[in-house]
Amino acid sequence: MIEKVKQTTSEKLLLAVFIILGIVAFYIFLILPQKCLFIKSYDPQEIRFDNPENIAVLNVNCGNVIIKLYPDISPKSVERFRMLINSGKYNNIAFHRVVKNVIVQAGDLEFGRKDNLNYLYIGTGKSGFGTIKSELNDEIEFRAGTVGMARTNKLNTEDSQFFILLEDAPLFKGEYTPIGQVVYGLEVLDTIADDYKREYVLRPDFINSFKLLID
Amino acid sequence: MKIFVAVLLLISSFSTLYANTIFYLTKIPNLEIYDLNSSNNIKYLTAEKAFRVGFRENNVQCDKTDKNNIKKKFDLIKKNFDIYDKNFLKKINLKYVVLCEDLKVAEIKTAGVPNHKVKTLIVDINFDKRYFERSIHHEIFHMIDDSYKELFSYEKWEKFNTPKFKYAECSTCTNKLDLSLNNESRGFLTEYSMSTASEDMAEIFSFLMTDSENLDKILLKDTILNKKTLFLKSAILKIDNNFKFN
Repeated sequence: MIEKVKQTTSEKLLLAVFIILGIVAFYIFLILPQKCLFIKSYDPQEIRFDNPENIAVLNVNCGNVIIKLYPDISPKSVERFRMLINSGKYNNIAFHRVVKNVIVQAGDLEFGRKDNLNYLYIGTGKSGFGTIKSELNDEIEFRAGTVGMARTNKLNTEDSQFFILLEDAPLFKGEYTPIGQVVYGLEVLDTIADDYKREYVLRPDFINSFKLLID
Repeated sequence: MKIFVAVLLLISSFSTLYANTIFYLTKIPNLEIYDLNSSNNIKYLTAEKAFRVGFRENNVQCDKTDKNNIKKKFDLIKKNFDIYDKNFLKKINLKYVVLCEDLKVAEIKTAGVPNHKVKTLIVDINFDKRYFERSIHHEIFHMIDDSYKELFSYEKWEKFNTPKFKYAECSTCTNKLDLSLNNESRGFLTEYSMSTASEDMAEIFSFLMTDSENLDKILLKDTILNKKTLFLKSAILKIDNNFKFN
């Protein structure tokens, strides 16, 4: 006959500790590194848009960011943006300037390319197409998801770099050229690699592809 | 080259990140929005923490803005900035006014620090009550001067003074810091006016904007000051023909 041995309290406690440790380890090593796990990726083909010709799809590691462009508000800047998207210039370009929950910036075609990343000059590169004039607007609010043309400290120096706001920035109104608004997938941009000590990111994430919904 | 890049990255890894969207525009960390509703488009910002900024040595420092303190003083501050219209402010590159406490430049207390390149004027809300309002206009003049150097020739200005008079090398290179009205002026409204040509202009401008009645009386007796004031008015009207002196 097998005698049933009762667990002591300390054995029960030890078992509980092991279970908790197991859960914590599982979360730390398996769940946390999966930064895309809880991010919804939107398929633009499954969404109905009023003006599909003004929709651009930015694809990054965790999914799609769907942007509605503002050709009526900033025609010249949107024209430049479309041209760079259509020619595939933004593919494999780094998000070189990222401030968590504040802003992501990309589009340095000269020093931000995946195959030619230059940490020393990133953010200062040119597209080769020249600069364009700022198209400032005192009506358009800069909210989370607003896409704007980046520039130097001076106006009329916009080229290829753009930023997407992750928080409202009311002071940007009338200072930067608005070129569009993220309509789906803003949360995807929260996963873009940042560095809590720097604006300029070491080992940045890249744009996988940037396309217009209708070429 | 690789070593240089490595050193640069190492140094930058020790710097802290304080880049909110206000920093993007003003290049001043730790600011928050206080008021965005002014009719002349001035954006008032306050310091949620102390900050240090500056070109070389971070020599401009200012303390956190106490909420009760700014609440008490804001109407007075706004009243003074409201004198200037939107178009004029655009022309002189003034858009952001940072309201903080105990402003210092190189450890010397100061009423304001203008930087037209980032359209920003830092104002010490704890500056001496007697001169506080006037100091706002004094600092605004520095924004004007910095944006239109060619209109405010120091060479021409110095010729208004008596031949023996010489300004100091810089505004802090002298002990002439008294801001009270000098009744026996002879070309200068305050002792501080005697420090540099730029400060002299800024002092006259500040009286023009806050105490023009008193100034008019002084001008009747002081030909040097009268010439200086006419020069100043004429230069400002070249910037904006519709500018209204108080």
